[in-house]
Amino acid sequence: MTESDEHLRVLRTLVEGAELGEPMVVATIVRTRGSTPRKEGARMIVGADGRVRAGTVGGGCGEGEVIEAAAATLRDGQSRTVRVDLTEDLLTLSPAVCGGIMEIRVEPA
Amino acid sequence: MVTTGLSVVEAARETLAARERGATVVVALLLEGPCAGARRLRIRERSDDRGPRDRSLGELGHPELEEVVDGILDGALDGEPLSARSSEAGTRSVLLPGATNEIPVYLERTRPPSGLLIVGAGHIAEPLHLQGALLGFRVTVADDRPDFVDPGRFPRAQRVVRIDFSDPFHAIEHPDRSHVILVTRGHRYDYECLRRLVVEDPLPEYIGMIGSRRRVRATFHQLLEEGVPRAALERIRAPVGLDLGAETPGEIAVAVAAEWVAITRGGSGRPMVEVERVAERFFPNEADDDRE
Repeated sequence: MTESDEHLRVLRTLVEGAELGEPMVVATIVRTRGSTPRKEGARMIVGADGRVRAGTVGGGCGEGEVIEAAAATLRDGQSRTVRVDLTEDLLTLSPAVCGGIMEIRVEPA
Repeated sequence: MVTTGLSVVEAARETLAARERGATVVVALLLEGPCAGARRLRIRERSDDRGPRDRSLGELGHPELEEVVDGILDGALDGEPLSARSSEAGTRSVLLPGATNEIPVYLERTRPPSGLLIVGAGHIAEPLHLQGALLGFRVTVADDRPDFVDPGRFPRAQRVVRIDFSDPFHAIEHPDRSHVILVTRGHRYDYECLRRLVVEDPLPEYIGMIGSRRRVRATFHQLLEEGVPRAALERIRAPVGLDLGAETPGEIAVAVAAEWVAITRGGSGRPMVEVERVAERFFPNEADDDRE
């Protein structure tokens, strides 16, 4: 009944960025297990400056690792899969905050 | 290196273009195996009398794998949920004939916007059409009163159309009324709409009607009198909205829209604080000891 404006915004950012010839990285959650802040299909676009251009894959929970992987992909042009394990996040107050595992595909665009 | 299939940008471009013309798109991204990193798309155009027409984009250069991938893409086009947590995205495994290792394939579906028809262009329709647009609907607002059929009042509507209640849906195509909400000025107008909607084929995915218990009851009574089967009443959500105690048009629109989200996502509509009870479950009350 509803559909995600965010999903479309991310796709448009990707197409517009490519038209401008800007190197970008796309990070997509392809698999999850347990309690993760975002589900499969959540996506983030990182620009050549390493900043998030659109979308999110989970805010504080594991996004740092994804941005690091995005920086590596910007450097070497290779796709990679990041496995973010939030069950061992010692920095959070309670294990119930983000207690799952997510697999994120990081690709150059 | 990716040497086959569509690039992520090509896939995004095709997806946006297809959605714009009312088609459904499923993208497969091969995560491992001989075509790892490749994308293949399957597009189902808006159905017409000739039935669904599907086509694929993105040659994998591996006919056997293409056939297996098209198989799962077809299932996804038919609307099956793609993972336990997200209906529109998820990873499946496929097995090539004679192979032992499964290949994980990430699938993502993009559907065309659903149509929301708001019948009655009164004071509730204004905030309600904004809520509809916010949730991604393609919104049509309809009324028979020329003064109310003013596009200036409905900036986020795709169309604001003048109708005649003797044949209210004549000028509104079916995809634009897959969801219908009645906020008319009187129950006889609701009745004129409902008696047509409940016998439509296909039925709208959602039929909602605002109103007091009395008004809903009067409308249902009249429908039954006219021979509409009792079971048809079950298809009508009336009165619409979650029980928020809403009073103003803006509040009512929020209550109605909140229910739309709950229906779509399978939410209970209960306050999160009651569902999760974080303080109670994780931080038991020790106040009594402290006070001593």
